[in-house]
Amino acid sequence: MIKKLFEWLLSPMGRVAVLIGALSVFSLAAYGIYTTQQPPEQPIAFRHDIHVNLGVQCLYCHPGALRGASPGLPTQNKCWGCHQQIAKTNTSPRLAVLKDYVQNNKPVQWVPVAQVPDFVHFKHRPHIAAGLNCETCHGDMSKVEIAENPQVMNMGWCLNCHRDRTADNVQNNPDNDPGVSALLHEKRTKLTDCGTCHY
Amino acid sequence: MSKQLSRRDFLKLATAGAATSAVLTGCGPASRYVKREPYMKMPEYTYNGLSTYYATTCRECAAACGLVVRTMQGRAIKVEGNAENPVNLGKTCARGQATLQGLYNPDRVENPTQQGRGKGAASQMDWDAAIQVVAEALKNNDPSEIAFLMGTAPDHLFDLVSDLANAIGAPAPVRFGALSMFESRATLSRAAEELFGQSAMPYFDIANSDLVLSFGANFLETWISPVSFTREYAQMRRGKPRKRGYFVQFESRMSQTAAKADEWVPLRPGTEGLVALAIGKLVAEAKDTAVPASFEAIDPAEVARTADVKLETLEHIAQLVVDSEHPLAVPGGTAVGQTNGLATAESVLALNAQFGNYGMTGGVYISPLGPNQDEYHRPASPEEMLNLIWKMKDGKVKVLFIHGVNPVFELPSHLGFLDTLQYVPQVISFATFPDETAVASDYIFPDHHGLESWGYQRAVVSSQPVLSGAQPVISPFFNTRATADVLIAAAQQAGGQFAEALPFADEVAFIQSKLSPLVGDPDGSFLAPEINMFSAYFQQHGGWWKNDPALSAPIASGALTKKLDPGVAEFSGEGEFFFVPFVSPTIGEAGANKPWLQELPDPTTTVTWNTWVEMNPETAHELGIDNDDIVEVMSEAGSVQAAVYLYPAIRPDVIAMPFGQGHTAYGQFAAGRGANPVNILSIHFNAAGDLAFAGVKVNVKKTGRKHELARMEGKVGVYEFRKE
Repeated sequence: MIKKLFEWLLSPMGRVAVLIGALSVFSLAAYGIYTTQQPPEQPIAFRHDIHVNLGVQCLYCHPGALRGASPGLPTQNKCWGCHQQIAKTNTSPRLAVLKDYVQNNKPVQWVPVAQVPDFVHFKHRPHIAAGLNCETCHGDMSKVEIAENPQVMNMGWCLNCHRDRTADNVQNNPDNDPGVSALLHEKRTKLTDCGTCHY
Repeated sequence: MSKQLSRRDFLKLATAGAATSAVLTGCGPASRYVKREPYMKMPEYTYNGLSTYYATTCRECAAACGLVVRTMQGRAIKVEGNAENPVNLGKTCARGQATLQGLYNPDRVENPTQQGRGKGAASQMDWDAAIQVVAEALKNNDPSEIAFLMGTAPDHLFDLVSDLANAIGAPAPVRFGALSMFESRATLSRAAEELFGQSAMPYFDIANSDLVLSFGANFLETWISPVSFTREYAQMRRGKPRKRGYFVQFESRMSQTAAKADEWVPLRPGTEGLVALAIGKLVAEAKDTAVPASFEAIDPAEVARTADVKLETLEHIAQLVVDSEHPLAVPGGTAVGQTNGLATAESVLALNAQFGNYGMTGGVYISPLGPNQDEYHRPASPEEMLNLIWKMKDGKVKVLFIHGVNPVFELPSHLGFLDTLQYVPQVISFATFPDETAVASDYIFPDHHGLESWGYQRAVVSSQPVLSGAQPVISPFFNTRATADVLIAAAQQAGGQFAEALPFADEVAFIQSKLSPLVGDPDGSFLAPEINMFSAYFQQHGGWWKNDPALSAPIASGALTKKLDPGVAEFSGEGEFFFVPFVSPTIGEAGANKPWLQELPDPTTTVTWNTWVEMNPETAHELGIDNDDIVEVMSEAGSVQAAVYLYPAIRPDVIAMPFGQGHTAYGQFAAGRGANPVNILSIHFNAAGDLAFAGVKVNVKKTGRKHELARMEGKVGVYEFRKE
């Protein structure tokens, strides 16, 4: 039966069918990859741009980034602390969703945007301590409505940054100081070690 | 396969299909399947993604082991031992680890319930109505007709109920637990009273001994404080350089403890006391000293014949004693749970006197009282439980409050606790789980789980007085309420003397009132100037204990001159075999509702999820019984059925069964699984009122059915010798 199938595939109609098949698989795969790059649908269409432009600091809502591995998501208490004093909360249809969550004491089920696999132990604190800003990795949140990921967060991307920041070059060691050079070398060893993130 | 599509083609197409779908789904965004729920109100001391640790006390048994529970975002996720607590020094047993499965158990009683003794449908109540019920039960009954039946833990609730009972003139609360029954605690403290003149718990310094002779004491399993004994045992074995402690176990079946021993002496049940005395005499003779009066009348050769052990074995053990610096003999378990149990316990304590180890390193001491304890309150003996049952039968108990114990399951059914409940007009249970007793009650007013509770527990055996503190590690999962709070609220509502007896705002205020005498004690594990700071430290460290040992030495004067005659125990029934029920080392008396413990193989037989009957392969061969044959074990009191496990390490004239399974209620994992061996025990007490649970003879009958026991070990090879 397979033999007949192959014969048919070699006929003109068969070739067209193979082409259509291959195109549909390719386009489905492309669509799959495309969706990974889209911001997921969130239970509340939270506007990062409005909040950041109003002057709310990232660490106000995500204080864990300064202290621990996870930046954390703000509690509903924190949302409501401000919003209960804002007149628009009672009128805006977008904010009605928040009101519903708070008043019914329901937890908001957020969908994570920036995520690494379970076998990667990513910690925010050392990155903030190294002087990185939130937007270095997460993009300029004052310009996005619903949170989205500005880049693919894979190992190459991590390592590129770890290597750039520990390279013994003019940028990192302008005076060509041997002490700084040794330090950079040691840092590079640590920051490119597998066990640093995979343990 | 049809002619159009061969099997090979089908597989090719299926593989191609699977590969395509894998490629397509692999491209999908994984993040879409993940949801994250932040707190609605986050406690201020919690950090996202970081664990919070709480020190508390294990409630799986009454040993008062300290725990440190790791919590993450308000959920308890891992239990470890509290390294500061002197009882367990950072260790836990399997039951302690599994306490989380009690917390998250799907069968917990979630609301106050009008149970109606299991007849008809149970209905939920609210707590106001529940407190009203308790208040009326207290107020509308004569105090002398109110009975409180408590478990061996927690101690703070026992103190509260004792204070209440004392103030209103009700009988003192009765404490009971299956473990205390199998440990024969009443016999141990009575033996101490007879020999030392002081009713107390003897303390055996296993850690510093170099030769331990254990007469049935299964101290590495469930006996009194197994984690602390296991720690001490490890110290005895390898804690001292160049000297490894030696360990001999006298027991008719090889228990987990016996399996760890250097020598296991399978003597005839009921002869342990005689063997102890014989060793005492042989030691005196080997040392060439005068034989003390207690041992004079004993003929070691005669004892060896009676006990079915070789005289050379006893002489060899006596020589071990002579050669050791710190010999120690420990009585317990099946040796004491006999009709001659009290005399046996006294004989073993007298043997220690002969060793000259009273109050010496590696010897026998008297355990100190707990830090805020007035006197030693031992759990009730089964005979005292029978007195309560008679009282119930005579209509002298109008309301029975039950907390922390499951007598319907734990007491032999022959005592008739369940049947006697009908004579009690009102039975109120505070059970966390729907156990047999709770199901047979009028109301269940569920207490929190131990990890959601405040409290304290005193260490029973510890060189220093220890008060292990408990605090909630998470908010209560269900609509449960602390029994102490329920009683306080009910007493306030009842007014008058009840309100005066418990003048506290809540449970925590009561606990603070019991801690306040300890504030400022200079020998405490921490110092605090006032009660609030003391309470804060108490929570932080998981309790309070004295720094210095407070063991006292027993007075040995009477021990060697007293006439001791343990004789051979009497056995009830006409059966062919001695019956030895023992507490399952993994499940204990109340672990059957936790799948982790069910799944944990028994340390000696590797059986999981069931009850088995241990039988010597030779005996089984004679009776035509094989592995996994279901047999009926019959005593004069009744019969149970279970599958046979051929166990080479048991005397051919002994049948053993683990206690812990055979529940008829207690949730989906426990109910309807295995058999309960206490239900074939007939009621005979020893002189101290403890049940002679190992003093029953049974017959075994093959039923013709088979049930394959789930076990870790293979069946091939082990019993090869039986194949002709």
